[in-house]
Amino acid sequence: MEATLFYILALVTLVGTGFAITARQAVRAIVYLVNSFFALALIFYLLGAPLVAAFEVIIYAGAIMVLFLFVIMMLDLGHPERMKSPRLVDWIPALVLVLVTAASVAVLAMEHHAQPLAAFSGISVRQFSQALFTRYGVAVELVSLQLLFALVGAIYLGRRR
Amino acid sequence: MTYSDAISLLPLIIVGVASLLVLLAGPFCHVRVVTVIGAAAALAAGFCAAAVSPVNSAGLPGLAFTPLARYLIPVFCVAAALSLLLSHGYNLRHEIRGEEYPATVIFCLFALCVLPCATNMLTLFLALEAVAFSFYVLVAMDLGRAESAEAGLKYLLVGAVAAAVTAFGLALIYAGTGTLALGALTAPAGFHSILAAGWGFVIIGIAFKLSLVPAHLWTPDVYQGAPAPVAGLLSTTSKFAGAAFLLMLLAFAPPRAELHLPLYVLSLLSMGLGNLAALRQTNLKRMLAYSSIAHMGYLTLALLTGTRDGYSAVLLYGAIYTVMNLAAFGAISSLSANGERSSIADFAGLGFSAPLRGGVLAVAMLSLAGIPPTAGFIGKFFVFYSAIRGGEIVLAVIGILFAAISAYFYLRVVVQLYMRPVGAHLPKPCSRAESFALICSSLAIVVIGIFPTPLLRLVESALSHS
Repeated sequence: MEATLFYILALVTLVGTGFAITARQAVRAIVYLVNSFFALALIFYLLGAPLVAAFEVIIYAGAIMVLFLFVIMMLDLGHPERMKSPRLVDWIPALVLVLVTAASVAVLAMEHHAQPLAAFSGISVRQFSQALFTRYGVAVELVSLQLLFALVGAIYLGRRR
Repeated sequence: MTYSDAISLLPLIIVGVASLLVLLAGPFCHVRVVTVIGAAAALAAGFCAAAVSPVNSAGLPGLAFTPLARYLIPVFCVAAALSLLLSHGYNLRHEIRGEEYPATVIFCLFALCVLPCATNMLTLFLALEAVAFSFYVLVAMDLGRAESAEAGLKYLLVGAVAAAVTAFGLALIYAGTGTLALGALTAPAGFHSILAAGWGFVIIGIAFKLSLVPAHLWTPDVYQGAPAPVAGLLSTTSKFAGAAFLLMLLAFAPPRAELHLPLYVLSLLSMGLGNLAALRQTNLKRMLAYSSIAHMGYLTLALLTGTRDGYSAVLLYGAIYTVMNLAAFGAISSLSANGERSSIADFAGLGFSAPLRGGVLAVAMLSLAGIPPTAGFIGKFFVFYSAIRGGEIVLAVIGILFAAISAYFYLRVVVQLYMRPVGAHLPKPCSRAESFALICSSLAIVVIGIFPTPLLRLVESALSHS
């Protein structure tokens, strides 16, 4: 049951992301990406991380993608000219990456003997927040300070005319 | 967190609070006051770090004041304080106003100070990215020049890709070891290849940060576009931080055999292409960018040996390179008027019309070339010594040959400074803050070159426990 669900969701994620990067219009790409985020959230849920699933939907699909949509609508660049389809040369980096990925998967598949993971029960919100704010509290502080300075920098650079 | 923990993390607290203080005081104080607050906080944190004795126990989860931190934090603090002093006059001339600049520099220093204190991979990665993040803003700070914005965008795009690759590598290492704690990074049997793959990605990401060939293409454009004091800070602290990042990870059971070849190739290509491309540059900042690619190649050569000698050569060379490049970029920024003085021909005769700054630039060039009484010679000597001791004789010989070639383009600048008639554009007089910073950095170059023992002892103690 779970395995079937996982493969369906994985397929949706992959296809959604694939369409997102090939879509010619930004709005369509965003909708495809939101789609794949939803599928990804369900995969996290299947893995026993309901909190991460909720964050995925709330933060990525909800906040960030909506922000992207707003920016695209506010800028209203009209109809950007259609991109030319990539030349043969432009495919080389992608092909190299595909080869590297395929080779790494092959190496891993040959060496690794699949071991079933130990029984894993979901993590409660309490456990998650305890780990986040004690063991990784420094990281949270660092990120919050970084966001503050990102904001300051964005406001400063926004003055450019 | 006890009292003694707070004392041991005092440098971090000082710079962290100072960055916020500068931001808050900005609207009420003159930018000069704010800059002085920032520089004073940086120096205070540096002294504090040098005075506190290191502890290996974690003060906070994820942070500990290690011996390595005790060595690196003062270096970063001095670099940040000097570049704040150097950039004040430059910013006035270029109309970079407001407290955002000093606040971002101090935040960058905060992230730099967190980096060597990190005891888990998450904190380590976040600190490295926070450094890069503040540089994305700093590089684009000059609103009056279009190149500055262009450089900021280029650095942002490349840096984002590098961050993604590094994060993916760290995730794979986590998958292989099952822990984020740096001290426990040993892979259980059967997970070797996933760990090696993770290391591969980390090396690619750090190659971008250190601008090793073939991940170097952003460097000349970013150095040329960035304001000169920012380029100085970027070329020194962020590179040294990247090297320290790799050093801290390498201390814990890396797949040594698999890592050798990629590091070897990166080092060879960087030394070769960096030095050869620098020969053909007519723009001083681009020339220094290619020279920094070559210098990072030397650093990788020392890292590649995997011996204690090699690691201490990395720490020594990082500190020396910081001083040399700060002096060079400091002289450039002080000599620039409203525009950037960057074409090498524009420096003709400045050794006579601006004796202090011309002299500092000449000392920096001689040191970068590795001429004996300067610090650059000591750094190069220990890098090649450790490489030969570590068995990398072929690469060390190639490196020495390229270092000899590099003398040509460094000395060309000195020739321009002292053997050409004075050009038309005379620089404005040097402010007191600038002369102080320039004198400090050039004194450091000469003193380390003549009397390196104290620095060597510090490097030894930095590696004593880790």
